[in-house]
Amino acid sequence: MSKGRDAVADALELLEEASRAFEKGMLLPKLFNHPGIFELEKERIFKHTWIFLAHESEIPRPGDYVVRYIVYDSFIVVRDDEGEIRVLLNTCRHRGMQVCRAEMGNASYFRCPYHGWTYKNNGELVGVPHFKRIYGERFDRSEWPLMAVPRVELHDGLIFVNLDAEAPSLKDYLGGAEWYFDFYTKKSRAGLEVMGAPHRWVVPADWKLGADNFIGDAYHTAFSHESTVKAGILFAENADFHLESPQWVTERAGGGLMQIPPGSYAGYPPSIVESWKQNLSPQQWKLVEELSIIPTHSTLFPNLSFLNAASIPNPEQVVPWLTIRVWRPLEPGKMELWSWFLVEKDAPEEFKRASRQSYVLSFGSSGTFEMDDAENWSSISRMARGELSRDLYLNYQMGLNHLEPIPDWPGPGRVYPIDYTEYAQRQFWKVWFEYMLEDS
Amino acid sequence: MRTSTISVSEEIYRQVREFLFYEAELLDEERFREWLELLTDDVEYLMPVRVTRDRGGGPGFLDDMFHYEENKYRLTKRIERLETGSAWAEDPPSRTRHVISNIRVAPGDRDDEVKVRSYLILYRTRGDDPRYDILSAERKDVLRQVDGEWKLARRVVHLDQATITTHNLSILF
Repeated sequence: MSKGRDAVADALELLEEASRAFEKGMLLPKLFNHPGIFELEKERIFKHTWIFLAHESEIPRPGDYVVRYIVYDSFIVVRDDEGEIRVLLNTCRHRGMQVCRAEMGNASYFRCPYHGWTYKNNGELVGVPHFKRIYGERFDRSEWPLMAVPRVELHDGLIFVNLDAEAPSLKDYLGGAEWYFDFYTKKSRAGLEVMGAPHRWVVPADWKLGADNFIGDAYHTAFSHESTVKAGILFAENADFHLESPQWVTERAGGGLMQIPPGSYAGYPPSIVESWKQNLSPQQWKLVEELSIIPTHSTLFPNLSFLNAASIPNPEQVVPWLTIRVWRPLEPGKMELWSWFLVEKDAPEEFKRASRQSYVLSFGSSGTFEMDDAENWSSISRMARGELSRDLYLNYQMGLNHLEPIPDWPGPGRVYPIDYTEYAQRQFWKVWFEYMLEDS
Repeated sequence: MRTSTISVSEEIYRQVREFLFYEAELLDEERFREWLELLTDDVEYLMPVRVTRDRGGGPGFLDDMFHYEENKYRLTKRIERLETGSAWAEDPPSRTRHVISNIRVAPGDRDDEVKVRSYLILYRTRGDDPRYDILSAERKDVLRQVDGEWKLARRVVHLDQATITTHNLSILF
């Protein structure tokens, strides 16, 4: 029996035990750094869930493409000559080489460097050097296109794929989370645009730690990020600004809201506030206008997170920013972080630039918040290898038998009155266990 | 005809080299307040995001997305953060070594400025973890004479990596 198979057998056993403990709000740290768990995650989660790959603004013109990944699989996300968005497995049908090796660009054709097999930007195989002489007249090139991903669906410009042809629609998968994501994606008449390209960097930390943190860990902000708040970088009165804000939980997502000074609209320019109001329902707008709260951090299972907040990039200048990020699994206990900055396409140019500066100061590779997170998650992943540490159950009980959902909340899901609670994190793990225990 | 990569006087070249070595010393010894004093008030400190492109598509540095897009205010805030006593990303601090070489100096756009290019090998290690990170870059600087002293007026850091292999950029380049 191979070592890899042993690890999977071991993982299947510990999953049973871990899921029973999880029902009591206890989590096994081993899950953050285990080769068998990683193997199962690739199969049982990443082949069956909706994975975010790109934003449509990254490929505005025919031929525009970006190369993106699900774990190790590489995909070309391309707008073909007809203007249709395609997601093609970036693997040549002849010998399996990566066909497109640039990260972004514009191309009518993708040509494999090995033997020159050439595909149109819709995936059709159109060129095989010497094909009649070497394969004969009956060789049908149409049988050998770049593999198209079974499911591609868009939501407000966000391009998602699912490798499972039988998966529910993206809309069903999003469920109640759509109501909360609208606050991020519907501020503008023209929609969002990605500026440049995402930050990409490797963090020796498990992908689930990022997802788990963004879905519901408001509690860490006060201590982990105290320095950044103290230095006056974040637009918040003190580092406990999440404490009295609600936390939302839906089927496969969760997040937190944050208080903003009444009438401040978190610093968005009047033209954007106007379209934001028009694009949201009256029930949604009530949050901004009457309750003075907006959705800030969130995660959609498995590995897409959002963050909308405001920082102070220059004296007296409050500027909001929006990032979305993917926690790409690389190895057990190791991920690649992809962090995009997005801004409203029709916002004033000056605002776009200031928003980008505000983001770079706060999140992304050099972000003064993000840098502390990388430190914490790397440490947890390293500790999770210890013989004792990896079996020492972690407390995931915050809010259990203590908090009740807000009864008259205007939106979907369960919403708790404070964000210092772990309902959303427990929801992430509940869904994680469901997929992991599903023998598909 | 190939032009010389060092087109200023020997004396100016010596001063520039000393400036860069002194600056590296301040960064490696965590004398960040003194480092801030080496910057002009209108300093621009940029590290553009790099993406891999096909040959012919250029070196891939973007002009609309950055790892660092700092002015003096934001750089000062980053240093202030380190001084709060709770900046965990750098507490315990990274141990860094800025190795500067291949220094080339040319006249600037203004009489009181020079353009400087240098190579940087940045070694970083943390805690009792025996692993280390090495990042390499070219820096394109503008130095300016202010009251008889050289100051850094602009720095553009061109990292060689498109995907960065250190867990955060809580260090300066």
